[in-house]
Amino acid sequence: MSVPPLAETLAGVLARHTAMVMLLAIFLAAVMVSDAFLDPRYLGNVLRQAAPLGIAAIGVTCVMILGGVDLSVGAVISLTAVVCAVAMNGQPEALWPAVALACAVGLGVGLVNGVLIAVTRVSPFILTLGTGIAVVGLAQIYSGGTARGIVSPGFREALNLRLGGWMPVLALGFLGLAALGYAVQRWSVFGRQLFLIGANPRAATLAGLPVRRVTIAAYALSGLFGALAGVALLARSGVSGSLSGQGMEFQVLAAVVLGGTTFDGGRGGIPGTVAGVLVLVIAFNLVNISGLSFHVQLILMGAIIVLASALYGRLGRAGA
Amino acid sequence: MLAVRQTLAALGVAALCVAASAPAAQETLEAQRAAAAEPVDTSAFRRDPPYRIGVSAGYLSNSWVVFALQHIRWEASLHPISEIIVTDAAFNPAKQIADIEDLMQREIDLLIYWPVDDRAIEDTLSRVVERGVATVQAGGGFNDHPGTITSAYISQWELGEMVARRLMEDLGGQGRIIAMLPIAGTTAAVDQLAALEHVLQEFPDIDLASVEYGDWNRARAKQITENLLQRFPRIDGVFSPAGQMSIGVAEAFDEAGRLDEVTMSPGDEYNGWLKWVAQHGQGGAVTFPPRAGQVAMQAAMRILAGEPVTRGIQVPSEFIPPDEIGAHVAMDRPDDWWATALPDAFLPN
Repeated sequence: MSVPPLAETLAGVLARHTAMVMLLAIFLAAVMVSDAFLDPRYLGNVLRQAAPLGIAAIGVTCVMILGGVDLSVGAVISLTAVVCAVAMNGQPEALWPAVALACAVGLGVGLVNGVLIAVTRVSPFILTLGTGIAVVGLAQIYSGGTARGIVSPGFREALNLRLGGWMPVLALGFLGLAALGYAVQRWSVFGRQLFLIGANPRAATLAGLPVRRVTIAAYALSGLFGALAGVALLARSGVSGSLSGQGMEFQVLAAVVLGGTTFDGGRGGIPGTVAGVLVLVIAFNLVNISGLSFHVQLILMGAIIVLASALYGRLGRAGA
Repeated sequence: MLAVRQTLAALGVAALCVAASAPAAQETLEAQRAAAAEPVDTSAFRRDPPYRIGVSAGYLSNSWVVFALQHIRWEASLHPISEIIVTDAAFNPAKQIADIEDLMQREIDLLIYWPVDDRAIEDTLSRVVERGVATVQAGGGFNDHPGTITSAYISQWELGEMVARRLMEDLGGQGRIIAMLPIAGTTAAVDQLAALEHVLQEFPDIDLASVEYGDWNRARAKQITENLLQRFPRIDGVFSPAGQMSIGVAEAFDEAGRLDEVTMSPGDEYNGWLKWVAQHGQGGAVTFPPRAGQVAMQAAMRILAGEPVTRGIQVPSEFIPPDEIGAHVAMDRPDDWWATALPDAFLPN
């Protein structure tokens, strides 16, 4: 018996927008637990909480569409947050040069990753794991174990300001960078090349695509967005420690994969990543706001993530 | 060597005595104090100067331990110490075992350490002691294992009790409070919560609405507090002994426009928290002194001179009221800094 056309259309829509469906499902679950999730100010908080993770995930998405991975992003976040704060040194005029310096550092780490992967063909997993460890060492040498630096006056206040009384500037920055990332992914030559190379690297090479250049650019972007995430984390929590980004690489990977960009390459995208980030943050907030004990929260949060990925898989297959 | 074995045997008996004690908070604390007061014959560890000291750091990636290490170096500068060899296990228990073995290869006269995981290095420390090298733990909780000759320890339970009592005093013994604790399962989190619950037995009008774990992470503490502010229309007090998290908690209240409703407990002497106290005039500090490193080195010198020490040397926490914070805060220093008496030459750089 053939599938009715409407069901087929619905399945196709669900498959194409699985990440959004997943986000909607968890958001509805959250609303049932607490009506805080209907409060614009609280939603602004959620977006702001998601900003460092989300910004880093945008860059890693580009790398993973290419079929690679970047495990150094957590270390880049730690290093650039400290570098930015030290460069600011509590001086208002040093704000933008400090942000530029942090971006340059992140970009530099990304370039190193990209060049080494493009030229040596070492496994991106191993190579970025190694550079991540090295960057942690650099961060510790630079900081001496203490997160030195004092942010410029007004830096945190400006990024945490709520426009319209509810939308933090930092959250808008996250959404803006996501929109920029989507535009690059969707309408630029570079974006199309990412997908083509990720789908079939050999064919892309034979077709004459600049595989090495695109690889280097993708990792450089990942490093740059890692640095922007470090700046965002600095805005959110100040100079709290020299390992402020430790472990974030795994949260980033979880968000990217949850959003539909797999390790295989050639598929996925920024909108799915943003949805994946928000699923993770809402899941945490949902269990936290529910009032359950800490250990039950951990179990529940794990279950939510498993269910979300299972839902993603089911809807994706249904539309295939 | 016989004296070393006899010392180990005595320490083992003491450890068994402590292990056999009841788990109730007050009884455990009293048993701990009794065990800490036990004298240790250190004649077997006596050495002639100059000394080579090994420091096995379980980690060096947070500002507190960096300050503790600088206190070790400062105290060392006052004694005939030819060399201080520092290793960093970077949170890897297996590496710390290897580090300790490497330090022994370099023929150190005494080992100062703080662990990643106490149990993981117990056997290694016992072997160190068997080879006639004394061990001193710096800055953790009291450790009565035979492989640790003495501990320069800070009691998280007593710190938590001091913080809780100050908060009760500031709240007038009534209201709804939340607790923000470090990483779940750590000694700090377990003991601080136990102390809080012990104090709350005397204040039936206090409602402990929620116990949360902020992982010593300012951003995480802030995120959790933002959720708590949604759950509870009113929160009167916050129990948060760790200043780094206290800043995040306070920021969440401030951004929600609810800072006026809440009383913050004392935090520690984390500079960022001291700045907040100086600005807002509440909270104060109950110290978690990095000078535990200095106390450890002082104990080390007594051991190497063959002088007796006790199994534990408590580095007491002190309360600094808000109106005295000015003498301790360094407004021109980073947040990730600790109030200290270190001379300029020994400040971290």
